[in-house]
Amino acid sequence: MHVLFKPGFFSNVPVRHALVLGAIVALVSGVVGVMTVVRSQSFAGHALTDVATTGGAGAAYVGVSPLAGFLGGAVAGAGAMEFIGVQRARQRDIATGIVLGAATGLSALFLYLNATSSATTGVTQQVLFGSIFTVDSSTITVTALTGVIVLLVLAVVWRPLLLASLSAEMAAALGTRVRLVGAAFIVSMAVAVGLSSIAVGSILSTALLIGPAATALRLTRSLRAAIVTSCALGVVATWAGILCAYDSYDWDPSSHGLPVSSFIVGIVVLLYGISGLPGLRRRAHARNRDVLRTHDAHHAMPGSA
Amino acid sequence: MKRVRGSSRVIAAVSATLLAALTLSACGSNTSSNTSQPGVINAIGAENQYANVLGQIGGKYVHVTSILNNPNTDPHTFEASTSVAEAVSNAQLIVQNGLGYDDFMNNIESASPNAARKVIVVQHVLKLPDSTPNPHLWYEPATMPAVASVMATDLAQIDPHHAKYFRARLAAFTASLGRWYAAIAAVHAHYGGTPVAVTEPVADYLLQAMGLHIVTPFVFQADIMNGVDPAPEDITLEDGFFTHHEVKVFCYNEQVVDALTSSIRDTATAAHVPVVGVYETMPEPGYTYQSWMLAEVAAIRAAIANGTSTEHLS
Repeated sequence: MHVLFKPGFFSNVPVRHALVLGAIVALVSGVVGVMTVVRSQSFAGHALTDVATTGGAGAAYVGVSPLAGFLGGAVAGAGAMEFIGVQRARQRDIATGIVLGAATGLSALFLYLNATSSATTGVTQQVLFGSIFTVDSSTITVTALTGVIVLLVLAVVWRPLLLASLSAEMAAALGTRVRLVGAAFIVSMAVAVGLSSIAVGSILSTALLIGPAATALRLTRSLRAAIVTSCALGVVATWAGILCAYDSYDWDPSSHGLPVSSFIVGIVVLLYGISGLPGLRRRAHARNRDVLRTHDAHHAMPGSA
Repeated sequence: MKRVRGSSRVIAAVSATLLAALTLSACGSNTSSNTSQPGVINAIGAENQYANVLGQIGGKYVHVTSILNNPNTDPHTFEASTSVAEAVSNAQLIVQNGLGYDDFMNNIESASPNAARKVIVVQHVLKLPDSTPNPHLWYEPATMPAVASVMATDLAQIDPHHAKYFRARLAAFTASLGRWYAAIAAVHAHYGGTPVAVTEPVADYLLQAMGLHIVTPFVFQADIMNGVDPAPEDITLEDGFFTHHEVKVFCYNEQVVDALTSSIRDTATAAHVPVVGVYETMPEPGYTYQSWMLAEVAAIRAAIANGTSTEHLS
């Protein structure tokens, strides 16, 4: 037991906060991530991490809580992408790219202003790569409440969203408000990115959003199983990363440990790599058929008859 | 078509915001004025404590500019502006710390080469290797007399007519450090071995000179100094010094602040451990190098003896 869990792991307050926060973030990212991969919006997800960076950097500069900055930045970015026209497939990449560029420029400005006008030293590191061991309990409460709201919103729009992802025209014909559910989803994605920015940093939050979901979609047959697996993999990666960071304290006496976010992201990538092994990957075809069946089910719904 | 116009309006708004912000930020400047009369030596202290001593040695024959002088920013993350480059190109004598603390000076100096310009690197004056972990050399009591002596020699070479004047002022400066040394010796005699916690190595040389026992692991201090997250083990250890009342004083770097150091300070305050604010650069105005160092020693002594907090030197 002590070989795996160094003494003090479970009684250490920063570790306990990190485990709770990591689980919340992994659950929200796990659910949102599956839909992000199904809708092929990974690039939009990555752009949202850049606007979350802007929010985090801006929050550090004006002195408000980093979570508020990450969430505000990502949601504002989602609004901008939505406004420019992220819903149309052809304009989606352009809108995303424009928002991404502007956001990165503003991040550079805020980080510069911060370095030249205030005493907040580790800000660049904390915004980009996270600070999960320095999170206080009030941030955890806010994270949990925000996460619950996102999951509730997703539960409401899930089925019409899935239909719109498969065929926007058909969904519209069936009476789905495609634009509205798309907007609800991109805001949910922004909130998921904002929350995971607190844990692994804004730049790495895409890894937590896409990685477990993509892995789960490779391994499972049904979308429901993919969501459960995605959440489980996210929690496993986050907790194992926290454990590795804690244990790494003794690996090299000169450094007192390695950063937690590199462990978490490393484990996410490792899991994705393992899921690509021939014996495991085969099942994905079956799941694709499953998604198509959902589509057929909608197709057979009243209205199309 | 309507959507296209909408998107161009957004781009225009974003660009305008960026431009306005850039213009505003360009108006700020880190250097003080750079006008000087003929016959006066243009000198730079990369940190304002070195600039202050330069001024004390050079007196009326030196015009001194400081680069790092804002007590509300962290010198470790300083980014040089064009006004710094201009000041450096005009300077005949530069004093900088070295040990990676003000590497930006090297870049600017090599960008405007000047064979006649003298550069005093404090690290080299003290013959310290690059691997020296703590760059805050001005807190070490032996540093400034050695640096001031080199300043006087270099000033005399640039302006040999006033060599005697510079030597006299060097003697006066060195003598004036006596009160600080006496204060250090007094703390050492009365309170040597007292356990002290810190966030950062900024005042470590001074704390060691006073014979105080720094309990915070150096790796933790270096993490805070370098702006990376410390290990959770170290955070718990540091908090424990206060909650278990294992230290008498907490030295808090007022110029390297983040959510973590603030929460540690709150823990110290809640446990009634006195907090003493320490600084990277000399607080301005109202202090000389000597009076600043004396004030730090007095604040630490008051914390040990009476439990008094001095969060900010005023």
